[in-house]
Order: sequence, then C-alpha cells, then structure tokens
Amino acid sequence: MPTIELKVERLERLVGKKLDLKELEYDLQWISLDLEDINEEEQKVKVEYNPNRPDFSSPEGIARALKGYYEIEEGLPSFDVISGDIVLNVDPSVKKVRPYIVCGIIRDIDLDEDEVATLMNIQEHLHWAVGRDRRKVAIGVHDLDKVVPPYRYTAVKPDSVSFVPLHGDGYPMNLEEILLLHEKGIEYAHILEGKEVYPIIFDSNNEVLSFPPVINGVLTTVTDETKNLFLDLTGTDFKAINLALNILSTTLADMGAKLETVKVNYEGESEIITPNLEPKKWEVNVDYINSVIGLNLSTSEMIKCFKKVRMDAEKSKKKGHLDVVVPAYRGDLMHPIDFTEECAIGYGYFNLPLTIHVGGIGQYHPIQDYSNRIRKIMIGAGYLEVINFILASSEKQFNYMKQESEIREIVDIANPVSKEYNTTRTRILPKLMDTLLLNRSEEKPIRIFEVGDVILLSKKEETGTKREVHLSAVSYHEDADYTEIKSSLDFIMTSLGYFDDYEIKPGKNPSYIDGRYGEIYLKDLIIGEIGELHPEILLNFKLEFPVSAFELNIEQFFNYL
Amino acid sequence: MIIKLKKQTIEILKLLKKKRSNVIATKAAEEMGIDYIVLMSAVNDLIEHNLGGFKEEDIYQISLNNEGRAYLKNELPERKLINIMIKDEIKEITLDDLLKRSNLDRNIFYVGISNLKKNRWISQSKASGENKIFIVAEEFPPTELEKFLKKFAENLTIDFSKFSKDDLKLVDVLNKRKLIEKNRKTQRILYLTEKGKKISISEINELTQVSKITSEMLSSGSWKNFDLKPFDVTKPGPLLKAGKIHPLINLINEIREIFLSMGFTEIRGPIIESAFYNFDALFQPQDHPAREMQDTFYLNNPKTAKLPEKDRVSAVQETHENGGVSGSTGWEHKWDINTAKKTVLRTHTTATTMRRLAQFYRNNDKVPVKVFCVDRVFRNEKVDKSHLAEFTQIEGIVIDDNVTLCDLIGLLSEFYRKMGFKKIITRPGFFPYTEPSMEVSVYYDKLDEWLEMGGSGIFRPEVTYPWEIKEPTRVLAWGQGLERIAMLYYGRKDIRDFYINPINWLRQQSYLK
Repeated sequence: MPTIELKVERLERLVGKKLDLKELEYDLQWISLDLEDINEEEQKVKVEYNPNRPDFSSPEGIARALKGYYEIEEGLPSFDVISGDIVLNVDPSVKKVRPYIVCGIIRDIDLDEDEVATLMNIQEHLHWAVGRDRRKVAIGVHDLDKVVPPYRYTAVKPDSVSFVPLHGDGYPMNLEEILLLHEKGIEYAHILEGKEVYPIIFDSNNEVLSFPPVINGVLTTVTDETKNLFLDLTGTDFKAINLALNILSTTLADMGAKLETVKVNYEGESEIITPNLEPKKWEVNVDYINSVIGLNLSTSEMIKCFKKVRMDAEKSKKKGHLDVVVPAYRGDLMHPIDFTEECAIGYGYFNLPLTIHVGGIGQYHPIQDYSNRIRKIMIGAGYLEVINFILASSEKQFNYMKQESEIREIVDIANPVSKEYNTTRTRILPKLMDTLLLNRSEEKPIRIFEVGDVILLSKKEETGTKREVHLSAVSYHEDADYTEIKSSLDFIMTSLGYFDDYEIKPGKNPSYIDGRYGEIYLKDLIIGEIGELHPEILLNFKLEFPVSAFELNIEQFFNYL
Repeated sequence: MIIKLKKQTIEILKLLKKKRSNVIATKAAEEMGIDYIVLMSAVNDLIEHNLGGFKEEDIYQISLNNEGRAYLKNELPERKLINIMIKDEIKEITLDDLLKRSNLDRNIFYVGISNLKKNRWISQSKASGENKIFIVAEEFPPTELEKFLKKFAENLTIDFSKFSKDDLKLVDVLNKRKLIEKNRKTQRILYLTEKGKKISISEINELTQVSKITSEMLSSGSWKNFDLKPFDVTKPGPLLKAGKIHPLINLINEIREIFLSMGFTEIRGPIIESAFYNFDALFQPQDHPAREMQDTFYLNNPKTAKLPEKDRVSAVQETHENGGVSGSTGWEHKWDINTAKKTVLRTHTTATTMRRLAQFYRNNDKVPVKVFCVDRVFRNEKVDKSHLAEFTQIEGIVIDDNVTLCDLIGLLSEFYRKMGFKKIITRPGFFPYTEPSMEVSVYYDKLDEWLEMGGSGIFRPEVTYPWEIKEPTRVLAWGQGLERIAMLYYGRKDIRDFYINPINWLRQQSYLK
C-alpha cells in the first residue's frame, strides 16, 4: 500500500494543533490511515493510506481529514477558483491515441522546499494510484509564463515534431527518437505501442509543452523563479484525469496558491471548464445507513458524522433522506453504501458496539472430514504427516519419476516464479520423494504421508480442471520393501472397512521395480498404485536406501461409499 | 533356610553386624560409597525380610554464625578490651578513650563493656564528671563462655540434644548475643531386628542381577532368583520415530472446529479458477493492479474457463460498466468478457465464497447461510522467510437479513476469542469488494503487542446484486492468512518451514499454544 512521509511540524501547522506522536499513531487509524514508522529524532512519520484515497497522498490532504477528526474544522472544505480566459483546443485526432485532457492554472505560487517535494511526490503517487503508471492518467506541470496561449492538444506523426525534452542531452529529438533513446521514453514507450500518431501539446507558437504521457519540453521547466503553473492531465479515462487534477489543484490551493480555470475546447464537440471543483451531491437514506452499521442515529447526529469526514449534509426534500455533498477530490464514492463507511468513520469505529449474531448449524465438508479420518489411521500406522505445495516442478513430477510420457498435457503456469513451480501436482508421491531428499540425513526409518490435493485436467469441468484428494505414503530405510508398505495399506483398507473389497493387480509402471508393483483396485475401480520405487528414481532424488510407497485417490473411493 | 537377597542388601547387613550398634543412614551410605536412595531401597529389602529397619530421630544442632566464628578465631570483645587495658597498664579510662583505642564498632564495644561488668572485672562511674571505667578484679581467668566457645573449634556444628543444664545456659547466652543458629533435623537410624542379629551371612545367597525379564523367567517362576538391574530413570529416551499430525493441519483443524462451533458450514471450491469468480464477480475493475501478471498466476493450459449462465455474466458486466441494478455508478469502463474467461490460480478463497453466492441464487436458498473455508490460495510472490507463493487462507461468511457491521464486530470478537485472543480492535480499512470495511487487530498478551490479523466487511451491493442478493439481505465476510498465526503458535521465524517439512522439527514440535 502507498506510504508518504510527513514532517510532524508541518502537519501541526496545517492542522493547527500540537500533535503528540503516540496520540497521532492512535488517532490516524480512525481515519483509515496507518502509522508505519516513527522517526522521533527527525520528528517525521511514515503513513500508509488505502488506494481508494489518493487525496491522502499529501500532508495537505491528510490535514483536511485530521481537522475534521479533531473537530477543528468540519464540513466541506471550500476552495476559491478564479475563472480564467486561457484556452486549450483539443484536436479530434487525439481520440485515436489519448482522447482526454483537462487543464488548470495555478497563480502566485510561493513554495518552500517541503512544498516543492510534496508537489513532486504527489504526482508520482497520482501516476500510480489513479493513473495506473501513466497509462490512464499522466500529469504535466509547466511554467505558465514561458509559453503563449491558446494551447493545442493534438496528435502527430512520430517523426514530424522535434523538441528538446526534459532530462535529455539538450538537443532536439523527434518523438520516435525519444521513445527509442530517452530514459523516460524507453520506460513509457509501451503505452504508445502500435499507435500511428502520438499526442502532443503546443502553444500558439508551436512550441512543445509536453509529449504525454512520456516527457515535458525543457522550455516550460519549473524553477525557483516560476510564479504561475500550467497543469495538463491527459489520459484514457475522463473521470480519472479530473480526479487527479482536483487532488493536485486543491493541494496547491492549500499551499496558498490561487486556482484559475482553463477553457478546454474539444473542437466540434463541447467546451469544458477545468478544474471543476463543484462538489457532488448524493441523496442517502438515513434508515439504510443506520441499518447497515447497526446504529440508531438521529438525522442531526448523522449530519454531524458526515461533517466530521469533511462532507456537508442536510435534510433532503425526500423524507428520511439526507443530501450529502462530497468534495471534488474524493473519487471513491460510487454507491450509497459508501456513505455508511463515511458515517461510521465520522461516528468513530471505536464507538461501535458489538452485537451477537446467532443461528446456523455447522457441518464439515465431507471430503475434509474423511481426510481427517484417514490422517488418524495413518498416524496410528506410525507415519508422520508432512504437507507440500500444490505448485510443482514438471521435471520432478514427471522426468524424475520416469513418467515423461505424461508431460504432453499438463497444467501450465504462464508466469511461474521459478522452474520449481511451473505446474500443479498430479501426484503427491514425487513431493514425498522431495521431502525425503531434504531430510535424507535424519534418523531412519522415515515413514511419512500426506493427504492433500492434486489437480487433473478435465475437459468437462467449468475450469478445465478438477481437484482431487490423494493419500500418499512412503517408507525410507535400509529394509524398506514391498511387504512393509503392503501391510500398511492392508491396515488402512481394513480400518476404512474395505479390506474385502480391494485387491492388488500386478502391473508395470516405470516409477517402480518390475515385479514389485501393483495397481490398487476397489472392485473394478482403479484407485491407486503401490510398490517399491525404481533405483533410478532413488538416485534422481539422491537417496541411499530403498523406498516403498503407495498413492491412493481418496476422492474415488470416497465416491464409492 | 537359605534367604536370597540383593547384593546391596547383603552389604548393608554386613555393615550393621560389624558395627554391632545402630548406624545413621547417611553415614552408612557414605561408608558404603553408594547413593542414599540406593541404600534406602536396600534397607526396604531388609524390612521386607524382617531383618532390620530404621527409626527416625530429631536432632538439634547449633552452629556459629559469621560473628561467632570471628570471635572463635580471635577473641570475644570483652577479652579484647581487658587485654588493651592490661597491656597499656591502664587502671581507669573514659569510655570514649577506650572506644577509640579498641577500634571496635560502637555496638559491639558496649556489648564488651556490659560483659566486663557482668564478669565483675570492672566498674563504671560518672563521679568525676566523665564517664569512666575502673578495673576492679585482680585476675582475668577464661570465662565459662570462652571455654564453651572452644567446643566449636573442631566442629562448627554441634548436636546439643545431650547437653547438660549448664551448657544449655551457655547456649542461651550465645543465642542472646546472636552468635549462633539453631536448627532441627530428622535423621534415620538403621538397626537390626533380633532375626537380623541372629542370622549368619552364610545363610544368605546373593540374587543374580539381570537387565531383562524373559518369558522363560516368568513361566518357570525363576524371576524370583534374579535382581533386576536398576536403570537411570532420569535419562532421556531415544527419539521416537512415531506418527504425528502436521502442526499446520493441527491448527487448521482447530480453526475448523471454531467455525463449526459458531454454526458455520465448510465449503470447498476449485483451485484453478476463472478470473470471473476470482475478480470480476467481486467487482475488481479489469485494470486493477492485483490482476496483473506480477501478482496473479495465469495459465497457458487450460487457458480459459467456461463462464456461468449468460444472464448472470451480463449482470456482472452491467455492474462494472454502469452499476446495473445495484444502484452504483459502476466503473464506467467497457467490460471485456475474454478477460473474465482467463484461468488463474485462485488468489483468495473469496472466489469460492463467490461460487457459494451464485449457488445461493440458483438454489433460492433461505437465510441464514453461514459458511467457512480454510484452503490454499496462490500469489505471484517472491518466496522468502515471510512470503509464500502458495499459502492457506481462512474465510468466514454470513448471508442473512438485516445483518450489520456491529454483528460483524461481534462475530470477529467471538472468533478471535476462541483462537485465544481476548481483545480485538476493528478500524476502518479498504477492500475492493467490501463496504464498510474493517481491519482487525488482536492483542497478543505473550508479546504485549497488537497484531494485525486480517480484513473484514460487508460485501458491496455491486457484488451481491447480480446474484439477486438484495437489501435487506447482506453478506458479512472476514478472512486472513493462516501461516502468520501458525508462526506465532509454533514460534517459527521462517514461514517456509510449514511446507518444507524439516522432519526433526515435525517429530518434536508440540501442539500447545
């Protein structure tokens, strides 16, 4: 989850309250923030926020919520926006590559060192949390006074425009060269892959402000001298770029700058004016909210809760309802249910009573219940239980076991963490061999078993696979042989009540020694295998004594019941 | 008649005969060079054959403490004072002067003065205005107390049960002067019975010592002729290579029992799952980072899964695109059916919960439905000592009418109380498919720490409405990983231990919390 670093002194200034670190740690959790780390020496804290609250990516955003929590300032935060005349024209050609843009102007900035750091940091967070690493939203921040409006957002052929990019060698490059050679170009080229035209923002003199979502031009670089900013947010999701713009501009407003709107003229369609900080209004049902939380708040108590989480609320015309007004930097409210959580946070989770829900009759899943019965029998027979991953290596599952012919059709993981886990197991036995390998220096005899899942391909299943419970057991010591494992199997079949129904039919299997292998049958149903493992397999698993083993498909004879 | 006795018993019999008197048990053991416990077992053998026995006697002992020992080594303070005066030929002296010359502690000095007076060797007067003492005796022979003190020279501890009256008075004096410690002890005195005194050693045969009873010994009755060699019963036995339940399975079963006791039924679902049940049905947007290859395992074979009935797939699609019937705005994105068809290794057991909700819809089930799942899940994570790519998740679900967030807090308290955590705290959290959401922490008294356990919440209407689960029916859910708790339970530092089976550990791990 995303984290930001806060200077306590700065947070105190923003909140308007002396903050004790211990108290702060306690208090933050109730507005769904988590204090990750406290640096007492430097008086800094690291705070983790949830991805649904990108407005918490700056100290200013967190301070807004804290002021509500401490009842220093409640209700909707207000922001003044001057309406401006600067125009950005959007050419319809961008629809093919990066269809949306919104802009804003920030005047009279006077940022200190910390605020500059926040401005950099918040962009990075918004690129991640809202922008999906610039695919959905990319942000450009420019020195307004270096370029001449009106601006133009258009799409151009990759080699038709050259400009000097930021963080480059200081020479003009065309867009294609930037993607091939520039550090940021290489990083973000995948977003423009396969596009015939690339997006670009020009001023009225055809100077390049930005090549979104890759890099700005060096011309509009923000410096210590910069007084006014121009913000461009481009992307594939109109809602998301607006949200990012609102978060960014309200944060700058909280730093003391003035916000001014831009006329974004989608040529041939409509003109919009951004940033649009008009709060959204929701009508929510008081009874519904009470009933979901389990409270019985009066209308006025509920209004108080919403004000504490920095919303405005008043009685609606509709009986039993509230009109709740949500600040424009919140993008996480999509259903009336979302207001129950806001109300509960305003009320304080620590104040919520617990109630007892009763009813229901419990039952174990039959196959899990049966597995436990088998475990008890196995430990009675002297076998130690082990458990292994279902993830498996195809080499160990098949090649090591001399079952190469089975490899043709297996579960194939597209993005395995390593070769050790490139498939799922079809048998438990190879996993037990692996366990013996890891424990081969331990005191013998080693008798181990596992009851667990294997995954088999099955066309008729919805997911193309089915899971089955298997039991496998191995005995490993100097004198391990078929007779020993057979008496274990007899004991299990007797204990389960199948002794009379089961038989072993001698057979051939490359994993086992010829003449010491059999297939296990329950009436005419084949349910497993038993035998002494082939010496080549012992060597594959670096073992120095014989191993006798069996594997049973529990699901099969569970169904036989 | 010949009597058969163990070797040790014969030895003690010989000793008692030789001494011709009673012997203190501890002394006998010392003399024979055997352990006191072994000796007493031989004495019991004597008792069984009516040859001897023991009686218990209290003994009273005194011993000098540190101060007393110092006086024994040097002299009593009164002797020291009188010696100073004799040596310096002093007839009279002020108390202060003598105190300075003596170099004694003030308290001890006055004890000395008081005893000099008691011995009538000096007198004291303030007649001259100064507090002075005067020697009044001619000779200063050793006092009774000094003579008595010499008794400790040989033995610092003395048995005083047989002391004369005069000696006992001196013991009293020493006691008052806090120079001794008194204590009482019980000791065993061994004796022979008349039969024991009469019997001759030649009438006794030694039993043969063996280490094992054989079936022949039992059937022939010859076991009576053998003495079973004693074992060192305190020694650890060799490691038992027995069968045992795996610690993680043991914990899983404990948790399953807790769910069952709370009225929950166990469910089980596919491990290879469609993205539809794993993500889409849970209202996870299709561009959500958790769905990317670096977090989720996708499959090349089988590459796709079949989706459920068309109308439900459309209901889910609409919810994503515009909220559908749920009353939500939805994600306002185009929803792609092919993305939903992809197969994944399920990333959470909530996929199985989702299938249970679908079944609830299809079967037209009645509320309440309470189910749980403790099962394997998969995440594309780098495996290290605190991360696994495959692990176990615990999940509990309640489908019921008018259930509330406060009911969920009640369920969580009960669940974690049964797991041994008496205090819990729930705070706001965020999960894509629940609203409101809660994070749960429990208080772990052993570490005096709050530990983050897992997440919980009420399923979003966007998740339940496509399956016709509508107000006032709601779904409460909570879940968490199992292995972190297992590490606490079993004190393991490396999460991988649970799946790599170090046999030596498995053989020796206890199940106790």
